[in-house]
Amino acid sequence: MNVLDIRGLTKKFGEFVAVDNMSLTVREGEVFGFLGANGAGKSTTINMVSSLLRPSSGEIRILDRDITKQSRFAKLNLGIVPQDLAIYEDMTAYENVSFFAGLYGLRGTQLKERTEEALEFVGLCDKAKSLPKNFSGGMKRRLNIACAIAHKPKLIIMDEPTVGIDPQSRNYILTSVRNLNESGCTIIYTSHYMEEVEEICSRIAIVDHGKIIAEGTKEQLKSTITDVKDIRIEVKSALPAAAGALKAIPGVRTVLQEENMIRIHSDAAVDNLNRILKQLLDDGMEIRSVEEQEPNLETVFLTLTGRNLRD
Amino acid sequence: MWKDIWFLVTRTLRATFRKRSTIILYFGLPIAGILASLLLYGSQGTTELRVGVVNGDEGQTIAADTVRFVQGLDHVKVVNVTQQELHDQLAASDLDSGLIIDSGYSESVRSGSPDHIAIQSVKGAQVTAYMKSMLYGYIDNVAAMGRISGGNDAKFQQLYDRYRSADFKVTSESVNDTSTTKEMSYQSIGFLLMFMMTSAVSLSELILKNRENRTYFRVLSSPINARTYVLANILMNLIVMLAQIVIVLFFMRVVFRIDPGMPVAQMFGILLLFSLVSVSVSLVIVAFSKSTAMAGALSNLVVTPTCLLSGCFFPISIMPDAIRRVSDFLPQNWVLQSIEKLQSGAGFAGVWFNLSILLAFAVVFFLIATYKFGRNNDTRNFV
Repeated sequence: MNVLDIRGLTKKFGEFVAVDNMSLTVREGEVFGFLGANGAGKSTTINMVSSLLRPSSGEIRILDRDITKQSRFAKLNLGIVPQDLAIYEDMTAYENVSFFAGLYGLRGTQLKERTEEALEFVGLCDKAKSLPKNFSGGMKRRLNIACAIAHKPKLIIMDEPTVGIDPQSRNYILTSVRNLNESGCTIIYTSHYMEEVEEICSRIAIVDHGKIIAEGTKEQLKSTITDVKDIRIEVKSALPAAAGALKAIPGVRTVLQEENMIRIHSDAAVDNLNRILKQLLDDGMEIRSVEEQEPNLETVFLTLTGRNLRD
Repeated sequence: MWKDIWFLVTRTLRATFRKRSTIILYFGLPIAGILASLLLYGSQGTTELRVGVVNGDEGQTIAADTVRFVQGLDHVKVVNVTQQELHDQLAASDLDSGLIIDSGYSESVRSGSPDHIAIQSVKGAQVTAYMKSMLYGYIDNVAAMGRISGGNDAKFQQLYDRYRSADFKVTSESVNDTSTTKEMSYQSIGFLLMFMMTSAVSLSELILKNRENRTYFRVLSSPINARTYVLANILMNLIVMLAQIVIVLFFMRVVFRIDPGMPVAQMFGILLLFSLVSVSVSLVIVAFSKSTAMAGALSNLVVTPTCLLSGCFFPISIMPDAIRRVSDFLPQNWVLQSIEKLQSGAGFAGVWFNLSILLAFAVVFFLIATYKFGRNNDTRNFV
C-alpha cells in the first residue's frame, strides 16, 4: 500500500519553478530518504505534503486520500519533525507534547498516556517537568520528535533531525527512527549526512531543480554509476586554481576541493590517474596519499547533480 | 472547530498567565490606572481662600458689614491687613486675594452707585471669581436700597436695618458634588483603554512569536487551520479584555467606591464594544508586521499617541480645536465621549451614534486584518 503518492506536483513562485512535475511514491513500512541540495525543491515538496503550501498543480495522496479534499484525514495521519526546532521554550516538555498531541483531538486519559509514551520513546521521561530552555541541543531535538509522534501518525516526515547535535543524541535519534519504523510507521527522512541515509533508508530519491533525478534502493542507485571512479587525493596544500586544470583532463567529470583533499569523479573506462597526478605535481602540489574508492551514495549524488549535498 | 478553538484558548491562557509578571501587566496596571486617577483628582479637595482685607472706610457700618459678609462666606478666611502687608503677602502667596475698601465706599453704596472697592489677586479669576460673585450680589442688594431710598437717610436706614435683621428663613440641603468622582472614573477608563489596547497587541503578537519560534507552522500542519488558530487568538484576547473590564469596574466601584455617574452596566457595554476595536487594531498591527519587534514598534507608534490625542490621559477639552478634530478619527475618543454623555444624563439612546462609529471601526479593522492575513503565506521558516 502506498502511504504517500505524489503525481505531477508543481509549485511555482512567480516565474520560478520550485517543484517541477514531480511524481513520487512512498510505500508502507519504508524509511524513505529524500535527498537534495539546498534549493533543490525538497522543502517546498514537504511543505505541500504538510498542507502548508498549496500546489500550483498536481496531486498529493496520503493513504490513498487526496490531501486537498480530505485535509483533516491527511493531517491526522501525518507527523512533521521540522529541521528548525518548533517547540515552546516556556512550556515544560510534557506540556509541549501534550499541547501538540491535543491539536489532533486527543483528550483526557488518552492524551496523558500518549504524551507519556512519546516522552518515554525519546528518553525524556525524567525531564517531563523541565523547561526546554534548560535542555541540551540533542534533548531539544528529541522533544521536537516527541511532539510529532504522540498522535501516532502513519507517516512521519523528518527533516534533518540530527543537525547540530552530539554523536550520542544522534545515535539515540537514529535508533528511535528504526524503532518507529519497526512499530509500523512509514518515514520520510532528509539529511545532509549521507552515512545516516545509507544506514537507515530502504529507498532513496534524489531531487534536483525540482525534479526527481534518481529513485531506488541504495544498491540500485550505486549501480547506476558503475562507469564512474571516485579518486581521492590528499595534498600538502591545495591551490585554489587546481580544479580548473584537472577538469580539462579527458575523463574527469567533477572535481571537488575540500581543504587539502581533492575528490575527482572520472570515467571508469579512461585511464587518467597518471595525468591527474602529473598535473598536480606540475602545479607545485605535494601529494600525500591517493585512494580510489567504491562508489557510495555521496558519489551517486555528486555524479548526478554535480553538486555536493551541503551546497 | 469550536472544540479545537477552546483547546487552543485554554492552553494558551494557561501558558500566558503562568507568570506572575503577566498577571501584573494585564490586570495590575489597569488597577494602577484607577489609583493614578484617585491621586490626580483626589487631591482636588476643598481648599480655604485666604483673603486680606484693607478697610479704609473704617467706622462706617456698610463697610464693616461688607467685611463681615466676606468673613461669613464658606471656605474663606479673612485677615485684616494694611495696604503694604496686602501687597507683600499676595506676592509671597501667603494670601490668595485682597479686598480693598477705600474711604467713601459706604457712601457710594448708600447713594446707589457702589465704588471705592477693589479685589486684588496674583492668581487671577481662578480664586477671585467665587468671592466676586458673592460679594457683588451683596453690594448690589445694599445699593438697590440706596437707590430706592432716593437719598433719604432715614428710609435707607429703615430698609437696611430690616435687611440686616432679616427674619426670612434660609434652609439648606447638602448635595453631593459628583464632578470629581465622574472625572476620576472618566480618567480611570482613559487609562483602561490604553491598557486594553496594549494588552490586545501583546496577545495578538503571540501569532508572530509563534511564527518566529515556528510552532505556528507545526500547529498548521495539524488538523487546525489558520482561521481556527486566529479565531482562537481573538477569543483568548476578548476573554482577557473582558476580565480586565470586570476587574477594573469592580475595583472602581466596590474597592475604591468611585461613583462613575452612570450605570456600570452601560459602562461595561461600551468597554466591551471597545474590546472588539482593540482586538481588531491589534490584528491589523500584527498583520502588517513581520516580527514581534516590528509589531512592538508599530504598537508604540499607534497606541500611546492615539490615546494621548483622544483624551485618555487628560480631558480633551483642554486641547486645541485642531487636535479635537483629529481625535474624531480615533476610537478611544468615541468611547470617552459616550461616557461623558452618559455621565451628563443622556440615555443609551443618546450615544447610539457613538456606538455605531465604534462598531464601524471594529469592522473596518477586522476586514483590513483579514485581507492582509489572507495574503501572508510565509512558510519559509518551517521545514
